[in-house]
Amino acid sequence: MTVTSLGYYALLLVGIALYYALPKQGQWVMLLLLSMVFYFCAAPAYTILFLLASAFFAYVAGIAMDREGANGLSAHRKAVAGITVAAVVLNILLWFLLKGSSFWMVGSRLLHRLIPAFPQLRALPIAGALGMGYYTAQVIGYIIDCYWGTIKPQRNFLKLFLFVSFFPQLTVGPISRYSQLECLYERHRFSYQNLCFGAQRILWGVFKKLVISDRVGLIVSGIWADTGTFGGVWPWVAVFLYPLQIYTDFSGCMDIVLGSAELFDIHMPENFKNPFFSRTVQEFWQRWHITLGAWAKDYVYYPVLKSKPILAIGKWARKHFSKKTAKKIPWLVGMAVLWFVMGFWHGSMRHIAGVSAWFWTMLVVSELCAPLMEKATARLHIDTESTSWILFQRVRTYVIYSLGCVFFTADSLTHSIDHVKTLAGALGSLTSFQGTIAGLGVTYADINVIIIGVLALVIVAILREKYGYARTWMQGQILPFRWTVWLLLFIITVLCGMYGPGFNAQDFIYEQF
Amino acid sequence: MTREEAFVRLNKVFREVFDDESITVGEATTSEDIEDWDSFEHINLVVAVENEFSFKIPMGKVVTMKNVGEMVDIILELGK
Repeated sequence: MTVTSLGYYALLLVGIALYYALPKQGQWVMLLLLSMVFYFCAAPAYTILFLLASAFFAYVAGIAMDREGANGLSAHRKAVAGITVAAVVLNILLWFLLKGSSFWMVGSRLLHRLIPAFPQLRALPIAGALGMGYYTAQVIGYIIDCYWGTIKPQRNFLKLFLFVSFFPQLTVGPISRYSQLECLYERHRFSYQNLCFGAQRILWGVFKKLVISDRVGLIVSGIWADTGTFGGVWPWVAVFLYPLQIYTDFSGCMDIVLGSAELFDIHMPENFKNPFFSRTVQEFWQRWHITLGAWAKDYVYYPVLKSKPILAIGKWARKHFSKKTAKKIPWLVGMAVLWFVMGFWHGSMRHIAGVSAWFWTMLVVSELCAPLMEKATARLHIDTESTSWILFQRVRTYVIYSLGCVFFTADSLTHSIDHVKTLAGALGSLTSFQGTIAGLGVTYADINVIIIGVLALVIVAILREKYGYARTWMQGQILPFRWTVWLLLFIITVLCGMYGPGFNAQDFIYEQF
Repeated sequence: MTREEAFVRLNKVFREVFDDESITVGEATTSEDIEDWDSFEHINLVVAVENEFSFKIPMGKVVTMKNVGEMVDIILELGK
């Protein structure tokens, strides 16, 4: 079962009816039951054990910390720190064994070259749990929050298990904090507005995925699958189309997830805020996959910057460099660790050596060049708030992001390097189109649908930028207009969505993590 | 230490960290109000506050403080 399947919507309908019909104190139990039904329909049954194990480590750690912390003695504080480290390490180990196999496979291959007797390890013949990267991050966050004392540990294991396994988030997150999902255990009243907003958001997400993303995906994957036929400018077309594919895929799924949760009066954190409106790379990462960035900032970046070695580096830098330069040195190290962890979370070498390395470099270059850029714009009398300059900055950010995604489109580091070589080779023939669009399995009608879809995306993005949510603006419009828009969106999704016989709905890109 | 005294000392720290003598912080001042106050400068600020007031601010408080008013609450609580 996926979040775009009919079975999922049947589950939602039955779930909502039972959820609001049940006595309010039992609503969280209903959510847990629905989560289990979804899980068993979407993933191999035995993988639920991994979720249970993660939740169990967190539960035991939380309870133990609560007991030890109450003593307040320094020996007990040490015990609390030990429990925290153990619970975090166990969760990472579990994830590493099942989802991080590419790391130890690459590692064992390298060791095998040096020491032929060293065995070449293979991935375990068992699947990882659904949404393992997302819920593992959530569980680690919960354990650290208990340690920091920012939340009170949950004493009911089933309630904690619901926090870990809440079904809409199991596909692609968001990575919620415990404090953000405590509303799961509260009593919720039926609200017509939640029902409308949730359904509208789900429809918008399905439109993004089935109408735009899967169509663009055909072009992008078609080009990369056969760069011999699709030469000339085509590989570059794939590069600049991919952000559109991944954005409509990931944010589309997120709309379905957040909309589904909203039906149950659960409001989860946003993961996107018009990322392609970003004027700088820094801003982009505050608008894209927001919950992962926020998680990494609080649980990795801040502790690293406040750690003794980094503080010592900062002290050393202040002695040897000017105040401004000295500040940059710990920042560089902190960002390197942050991007390493982000790459590691994605679970492959190409993410660390490709995507993370690329964005870290871009962030460093933009930070170091910022004063130079400021001087240059002042000297050239460029109005940095003019529409054309803002547009230039947004296009520049889009290009930087597109280039970083080259490592995302391949399935290994070697293939990523092949892609880079193809792109470099294609630079000399950018004016030629080798191969036709028909060869990619798309028609000119598909191209028109993509163009109309992108126009809709731009309108919604502008409304969102102005009103916080496009639906806030919609709410202020007259009833016939609202219904026309929603019906039109529904009809276009039904008629132009890529589903049913003859189509192979593609998996969500971020589902693999 | 009174709340007013904490604000005076804190204001000095802010001016030093952000290299800006025009800064005057109040209860409701947030990172939105000071241009350079990003996640990196947040930690620089916390470390500078720790040095000024001679105590360590726990990480839980570092990640949850929402404005300068809350920062002063923490300073007064830890400075007791």
